[in-house]
Amino acid sequence: MSLIAFWGAVELGLVYAFVAIGVYLAFRVLDFPDLTVDGSFPLGAAVAAVLIIAGVNPWLAAAVAMVAGALAGLVTAVLNVRFRILNLLASILTMIALFSVNLRVMGKPNVALINADTMISPFFGHGLRDFYVRPLFVGVLVVIAVIVVWRFLESDAGLSMRATGANARMARAQGVNTNKQIYLGIALSNALVALGGALFAQTNGFADVTSGVGTIVVGLAAVIIGETLFGARGILIALIGCVVGSILYRIAIQLALSSDILGLQASDLNFVTALLVTVALVLPRLRRGGAA
Amino acid sequence: MISVSDIKVTFGKGTPLQKQALNGVSLTIEEGQFVTVIGSNGAGKSTLLGVLAGDVIATEGKVTIGTTDVTRQGTAARAGRVARVFQDPLTGSCGALSIEENLALAARRGERRGLASALGPQRRALFRDRIAELNLGLENRMRDRMDLLSGGQRQAVSLVMATLAGSDVLLLDEHTAALDPGMAEFIMTLTQKIVSERKLTTLMVTHSMRQALDYGHRTVMLHGGEIVLDVAGDSRKTLQVEDLIAMFRKMRGQTLDDDALLIG
Repeated sequence: MSLIAFWGAVELGLVYAFVAIGVYLAFRVLDFPDLTVDGSFPLGAAVAAVLIIAGVNPWLAAAVAMVAGALAGLVTAVLNVRFRILNLLASILTMIALFSVNLRVMGKPNVALINADTMISPFFGHGLRDFYVRPLFVGVLVVIAVIVVWRFLESDAGLSMRATGANARMARAQGVNTNKQIYLGIALSNALVALGGALFAQTNGFADVTSGVGTIVVGLAAVIIGETLFGARGILIALIGCVVGSILYRIAIQLALSSDILGLQASDLNFVTALLVTVALVLPRLRRGGAA
Repeated sequence: MISVSDIKVTFGKGTPLQKQALNGVSLTIEEGQFVTVIGSNGAGKSTLLGVLAGDVIATEGKVTIGTTDVTRQGTAARAGRVARVFQDPLTGSCGALSIEENLALAARRGERRGLASALGPQRRALFRDRIAELNLGLENRMRDRMDLLSGGQRQAVSLVMATLAGSDVLLLDEHTAALDPGMAEFIMTLTQKIVSERKLTTLMVTHSMRQALDYGHRTVMLHGGEIVLDVAGDSRKTLQVEDLIAMFRKMRGQTLDDDALLIG
């Protein structure tokens, strides 16, 4: 693996760290299997790309992308809480609908961002090579996101969200409006995922309607790899685990695809992903079985 | 003061499985009074507790806690007035959160929850002191996850949680039923101490006639969704478990076939 390929993998891992944190919020904190992310990731990319091309400040474009993601999450949450549709099914409905929405937003399946001013453009050309600048920039944003989410989950408000996912009956007896917590949590989760999408569009120079396929699996892979490596030791460690897991996942994929011995090609990506997630899911179980 | 007046609860109304769980129950509990509630399975004990907690919304009648009509309020909306310990130790606390996080959650029961850190140094010290009073050694395990504790330890912590924030009524839902006899006694002694020290208005549902007579100021017996016995004061002091069974038989004019009532 070349140096550029390595840092490219790190960069992509950092972009998907936002997805991992979002998936952690939905799956682990709220115990809500949310597949909306497959739609809200390209939604974030599409909104950001279209706005940037229209001349909007890229930071503002990313913020709008986050709002769009939050709204998408809210739709899923309303379908589940208000209309009692099974959470998984509710998220699939939103995900499917978002495919059409994303096409409408972009007006075509694919929008290029080459030569447009992005959030990262001002940092290029200051002596550091581009393939270092991108992961560095995204990395700083990831650190901010980790700190914000960590502080939130350890606040009074965050505690009621965690209680909602862990024991809703107890949460209600403590005066927590559990429905509101689900609205808030799923919206926040998808806002983070959409931000990941917005950064993906800007670091890769395009937004594509199909780029969302498998987002949930990638996010889940990162969360599980993090948990396998770090164990359950508090919120901050879990969030750092998401980020590290996301990066390691990308490096593992890169290694698998670039090793000549395995003879894999780019189109095998989804299979390798599924295999990797399965291994990450099965390994801790085997280890536990061996100890018992 | 809490009062329920002419409460009727019908489950599955209009279906073949229609069940009248409560059939016109009226009960007024003065401030600081400790009432024990007894009755066989299906008598309506849990439904009555649910009506007070907000889990069950009454089909007819009125529920007042303090001076507020809470008849139509859900559990979360009236949580500021109602403290509660559940029968199942797993229900009353969050296994995935630490002991101190559970306490932090309970300390804000019924209040707005902001973005300030849930566990500042002051709160940590307060929680530690309150848990140390239990003499279970849990004050050194404040950061342990709740699901590492035994059922009895969890109930003890739940009792502390119930008293961290103010409330108009404390509801105890057979909170010793899932424990071994030794731990059950410890929890009852602790309950007695907390209730009398804090002069809490308390309603305790129990399966044990012994407990129902040994604790509190007043005993209420439910049967078939109605109150069939309500004793307090001197007449209660001389009352024995055997008397309770005899009175129960006489009143209902039927034989007692529920072994659970005779045990304990």
